[in-house]
Amino acid sequence: MTVAKAGGHMTVAKGGRHIVACWLLAALALIAIPGLAAAQPAQVSGCETCHKEHPQPALSSPAKDFSATDVHRDRGFTCVDCHGGNPSETDKVRAKAPATGFKGKPSGQAVIAVCSRCHSDATLMRKYAPKQRVDQATEYATSVHGQQLAKGDTKVATCISCHGAHGIRLVSDAQSPVYAMNVAATCTKCHADPERMKGYTLPDGSALPTDQRAKYEKSVHHAAMVGKNDLSAPTCNDCHGNHGAAPPGVGAVANVCGTCHSVFATKFALSTHSQIFDRGCVECHSNHDITKPTDAMLGTDKTSVCGNCHSDGDNGFNAATSMRAEIEKLKTAIDRSHALVASAENAGMEMGEQSLTLREAANHLTLARTEMHTFDPKKVDTVLQAGLGLTSKVDAEGQTALAEVSFRKTGLSVSLGAILLVVVALALKVRSLKPRE
Amino acid sequence: MTEHLFAWLDERLDLSELRAFVAEKSVPKHRHSVWYYMGGITLFLVGVQVATGILLLLYYRPSAGEAYESVKFIVSQVQFGWLIRNVHSWSANLLILMAFVHLFSTFFLRAYRKPRELTWITGVLLLFVMMGFGFSGYLLPWNELAFFATKVGTGIAGAIPFVGDFMVRFLRGGDDVTGATLTRFYGIHVAILPAITTVLLGVHLLFIQRQGMSVPPSVEKREQAGEKIPQEPFFPNYVLHDVMWWYVALAVLAALALFLPWELGTKADAFAPVPAGIRPEWYFLAMFQTLKLIPSHVLGIEGEMLGVLGFSLAALLLLVMPFLDRGAAVGRPSKIITAAAVLTVLYLIIFTIYGYLAA
Repeated sequence: MTVAKAGGHMTVAKGGRHIVACWLLAALALIAIPGLAAAQPAQVSGCETCHKEHPQPALSSPAKDFSATDVHRDRGFTCVDCHGGNPSETDKVRAKAPATGFKGKPSGQAVIAVCSRCHSDATLMRKYAPKQRVDQATEYATSVHGQQLAKGDTKVATCISCHGAHGIRLVSDAQSPVYAMNVAATCTKCHADPERMKGYTLPDGSALPTDQRAKYEKSVHHAAMVGKNDLSAPTCNDCHGNHGAAPPGVGAVANVCGTCHSVFATKFALSTHSQIFDRGCVECHSNHDITKPTDAMLGTDKTSVCGNCHSDGDNGFNAATSMRAEIEKLKTAIDRSHALVASAENAGMEMGEQSLTLREAANHLTLARTEMHTFDPKKVDTVLQAGLGLTSKVDAEGQTALAEVSFRKTGLSVSLGAILLVVVALALKVRSLKPRE
Repeated sequence: MTEHLFAWLDERLDLSELRAFVAEKSVPKHRHSVWYYMGGITLFLVGVQVATGILLLLYYRPSAGEAYESVKFIVSQVQFGWLIRNVHSWSANLLILMAFVHLFSTFFLRAYRKPRELTWITGVLLLFVMMGFGFSGYLLPWNELAFFATKVGTGIAGAIPFVGDFMVRFLRGGDDVTGATLTRFYGIHVAILPAITTVLLGVHLLFIQRQGMSVPPSVEKREQAGEKIPQEPFFPNYVLHDVMWWYVALAVLAALALFLPWELGTKADAFAPVPAGIRPEWYFLAMFQTLKLIPSHVLGIEGEMLGVLGFSLAALLLLVMPFLDRGAAVGRPSKIITAAAVLTVLYLIIFTIYGYLAA
């Protein structure tokens, strides 16, 4: 049995009492200095001494990677904590003797066991990362990866497939393969590989696609993540889960999207479509290649999605036509009011209040687009009418402002004319006056 | 009616001296006479500023939280508030322009020569006060452009040797431009500068009335040679002529208020990034642009300090010009001073345009 301890390890094995004594002393020394255990970087173990110089890259690179940057190494863990063995032994046969608990290179379930030995231990994890969850192994067992592994499929991803085995970095480290911006690339190392995905199927029996990343890169979510550096934008694991990765099942899609788009999800849940759509939001918005939604999606023309199911004359067709027409009406009204306000502003009128009101009207347009997810024209119309009321108010005030501009211009022109007449009269009068002799 | 009123007053106050003064006062008439009216226009614009400024005072609130909103209220809600504010803003600029025209016309006609040295000095001081009005008034609407321009403008005072830091804090009422600066500028704009102006303007006008209009050295030579220079009666000829020019100025003001309404801009925000194109009012632009072009260090002296010292020296030279150009009093004005003045005018025009384009 090997128990991980910062700064060293403790091995209990037959015939190794002197080693036990050494490590006990080392562990006691660390315990005696509070706080040092977590902060003390690991010393170079005997394993690294030999492995770094090993002529075979497969045996030297793990040691090199581990000694360069590794979150576990930074916290005092060494090779034996995962691989077992006796690093103080200079003879490699004795160092890897069965009595030392040497495991070699773990694979498959063994990887899960090695990692979860610490990561599922709440007491231990509290010491290093108290906020970190300790149910990764449990979640993994429920994932498609975990289920396949349990069936003996060793091609599936385990902890090290995503996090790496040596040179492991924190999730918040931008160079980590599981950093938000790198997740899509990490997942698609396997999922975009048709050869590797061959034989895997979706629940409906169709072949597992490998174009998810290509599609994702066209999406509004990818644009936010990469274009705007918005790390809160979703990537693979935000919808599929990470350790419990699985495709969202029927009925779960709205909940998945609703994690972020909660208002839309609430509206949609109230709609008749929530009972009909097998794939929830995906029916209209697709999944991986979600583009920016536009008003053109609503309606019955070729660019709309409503026409995919509804045909001329049915209730849905009429509702879609009506909602789109009303939305267009408010858009046109806002544009017209904006032009009016700009015209008055250019003429020198103060139109700050009206600009704010137009912003409020634009908010109603957004609210109407949200309300549209209830697919109830009456509810959408209520919101739009409120917006139209605001634009009408702005139009009236804009017209009043323009009338005021006209009045000012007329008044000032008349005044200017009168002033110039006085100037001419004065000039004539001055000319008629004789200078003093 | 007017005669009755005058007779009523005359009976009580004995206005015979005033009547005689008005009847006898005359103004020389020659080919340079038109420049006499520049002072009159400037005076008229001062009157416009006082009248419109008092009206704005009725609604303006001098605090960082209310200044912008109160000006917005004036231009959008108060009856004819827009007109008063537009006229006040445009008239302020025309006033400084006319003060410069009046100053340089007086300069080139050598009107500062003995015995009018004190009239010149009060006039130059009045120009500085007018520029102070412009600088302090620019901040009062508390908009973004004015806020940052004042920050830059008051910061320049920091380059004055020995007292620079004190001057900056004195002008700002603290280390930075804040509501305290606004209140301070308001006090300067509506109380301190008007009080100084009243005294200086009173003395300036008194000297002019006491000494009469100066004639250019060329006209004076003709007069000394025995030629009779025509005289224009002050009343009604000159006064009507003056009033005509005032109406012209009023027409220009009305046209500017009509076609180019003065913008209010966006409210000042100390935490907002400095907007592009920050520049002071046009009459400080030549100085501002010069300071920008001076290298950071010249002969071991800080460039900005050198610039501020240079402008201070130029202002001092302008003030004491009658004592530098002593030959002007005997009909031999200095050619070097004339050339320097021409170069100064060219420099001000070119650097103002340059500063405008560069910003």
